Amino acid sequence: VTVGAGALRPRSPLVAGPLRRNAPYLAGLSPAALLLALFFVGPSLWAFYTSFTNMALVGIDAARPRFVGTANYERLLSDPDFATVLLNSLTFVIGSALVGQFVLGLALALLIDHAERRGYRAATFAYAAVLLAWVNPTVIAGFLWVAMYDFFFGSLNVGLGAIGLGPVDWLGSFPMASVVIANTWRGTAFTMLIFLGALKTIPSDIYEAARVDGANAWRRFWDHTLPNLRPIAALTLLSITMSTFGTFILIQTLTNGGPGIRTETIALYAFHEAFRSYAIGYGSTIAVVMLALNLVFAVLYLRWSRARA
Amino acid sequence: MDGQRAISRRTLLKAAAATGVVVACAPAGGPAPAPGGGTTGRTITGTVTVSYPDELGKKPPYVQQAADALKAKYSGLDVKIDLQKIASGDYYTKLLLALNAGDVPDVIHVGGDRIGELADAGYIEPLDAYLAQWEDWKQYPDAVKSGVTYQGKVWAIPYGLDTRFLYFRKDVFEKAGLGTSWQPKNVEDILAAASAVKSKVSGVLPYALYAGPAGDSGTANHAFIPLLWAYGGELQDSSGKWIGDSPATRKVLDYYARAYKQGLVPNELLTSTKPWTAMREKVGVTGDLALLFEGGWVYGGWAAKDKAATEKNVGYLLHPTASGGPSFTIGGPGTVWYVTAKSKNKDAAWEFIKTWNSKETVAKLNVEDPHPVARTDSADVAEFKAEKYLVDSTESLKKAKFVPPDPNFGKVLGAIQKATARAATGEATPDDAAKRYTDDLKQALGADKVVTQQ
Repeated sequence: VTVGAGALRPRSPLVAGPLRRNAPYLAGLSPAALLLALFFVGPSLWAFYTSFTNMALVGIDAARPRFVGTANYERLLSDPDFATVLLNSLTFVIGSALVGQFVLGLALALLIDHAERRGYRAATFAYAAVLLAWVNPTVIAGFLWVAMYDFFFGSLNVGLGAIGLGPVDWLGSFPMASVVIANTWRGTAFTMLIFLGALKTIPSDIYEAARVDGANAWRRFWDHTLPNLRPIAALTLLSITMSTFGTFILIQTLTNGGPGIRTETIALYAFHEAFRSYAIGYGSTIAVVMLALNLVFAVLYLRWSRARA
Repeated sequence: MDGQRAISRRTLLKAAAATGVVVACAPAGGPAPAPGGGTTGRTITGTVTVSYPDELGKKPPYVQQAADALKAKYSGLDVKIDLQKIASGDYYTKLLLALNAGDVPDVIHVGGDRIGELADAGYIEPLDAYLAQWEDWKQYPDAVKSGVTYQGKVWAIPYGLDTRFLYFRKDVFEKAGLGTSWQPKNVEDILAAASAVKSKVSGVLPYALYAGPAGDSGTANHAFIPLLWAYGGELQDSSGKWIGDSPATRKVLDYYARAYKQGLVPNELLTSTKPWTAMREKVGVTGDLALLFEGGWVYGGWAAKDKAATEKNVGYLLHPTASGGPSFTIGGPGTVWYVTAKSKNKDAAWEFIKTWNSKETVAKLNVEDPHPVARTDSADVAEFKAEKYLVDSTESLKKAKFVPPDPNFGKVLGAIQKATARAATGEATPDDAAKRYTDDLKQALGADKVVTQQ
């Protein structure tokens, strides 16, 4: 950007002041904006358009797609499965993002930060272990948990068998809990990393002063650590809520939405309608609703972060 | 950034992008006009691309053989083979996206039950003009021809037909006190046998009854449809409308509910990815599953591992009915070769299909990957006749019922998956699941194409 900034400055005196002032920034932003438009805004608009058609991958609707007005949206609202799917998504987000990844990630960050400040060597290993869960491709993470939960050969049931218990049909009997645990394991590292970074920005002398004032560990955490983490917490929550809302590969690998639709989340439902039932129009409708819900989350979190920060 | 988020967003974008592609490239009209007069007098040159999925490894040598024969016959022709080593269901989705985008191979290889929806979408080419000049077409029985005929035209050439059997483990049945020559009198006998296995033989799963989306098309073809027929029901009425809630539908879903509730079927069938892989292995090889209704072709994998043990331990039977009427099975055209409508070299594509479907190839491939042969003359080939199992399989087709080619089959499959999952998980009572089956069918097909029966 520094190289291009001077060269790209508009020469014409007719160009309005603000545009001229902002030109270097606009030039710098335009590649990102272009990519976003190409790969996000464009497809979103297509999905929006498609959601008003009966487009399909097979059959007569594939040869001659037509506009169906709001029929897809009406169908979605009267779809008895959709309520279940929304509830599943909510349970999954609250369970694995808010309770799992957020709380656990924060706790791990505090522990590791504390250990590092004290100079414990083992902190590095703990850090690496959490990070390993995260650097795996999601499909691999999914298969790792399949290997854990499998009824016949899974580590959990083999372990239970060794002490004369089980076997337990984990994915069949506790499907939501199973995917929540797997996704918590998978995503905790992200929250932990962010909070670790944030914790390092809190100057040590604040704690020194608090200690001199006689504050105990809990008070120091409550009065100094937590307020300092608030802005970053809002952004972290936003980011993990959205990613968990859109999580798809992990659940697909583990349960494929089953049994029945007990772990079918909205992202999976959109995929299944579009690429298993080949109803592109209806699948797009679900995707559009999902996008709208994500926007609602984004607005809520951003407002919350501004109010508190 | 979080890898998980990156991937899930990318997947969504792909979905969105695909929908864009669909709009841009959807063909304007129906199928392209049929070829003028077959291949006589034309020179076959250029390139022809043959695309097919295969995981088993039996087909590739024969595809190569046909390609080589074709290249030897036509010096100006190049045959490109696009072998996709993925499951046929995954291949189908990939292929549909390619067909929709207009990026098409000349020859494709998909289940014959998809003829209706592929033809309606304008993806495939009718073959009647070619068949008129193909001497060998008379070797195909009328029943086989009708299985690949849709709207009065023939769209594909089958080679190995589908039949299905109720497999049972003789060694397990012996231990359960059922004997090795067990014959179910009716469908209840299947559940009774499964109960006996459950109570008397430990460490063996009694029964696998596919349900829900996890079972893929097996949920319909290997479970719901044969049961529906066993209870005297039909998929469609005489006017071609799909039957939702009916006495038979309720009985099938009740059968599901009982089988799962009594713990005769492992719940993990509802969640595993491709559960049939494990179930086939268990009934045919390791012997820790007692009962399974499955494709006739899976027998080949077991026999290839240990023929003597398979013959000794695995019994195969037709499907019983509820009333004790004559047993039956569910037949199908199997996987078939199609010429794509957008192919730029249809004559060469047809030449490939013709070469592949020779008497010898059809016989030999079906010995290795056991299916009843589509050509009657292939049944006379010595290697085929020597296998008792193949002769029995071919014989079973005389008692087979076929699912008629219908463009809505794929959508009906989705409704069947939902209904069976609801009954199996106990999410809905059998009666409610049957009612919601009607709703799902209406939702997917339009209310005017669905009827109910009291």
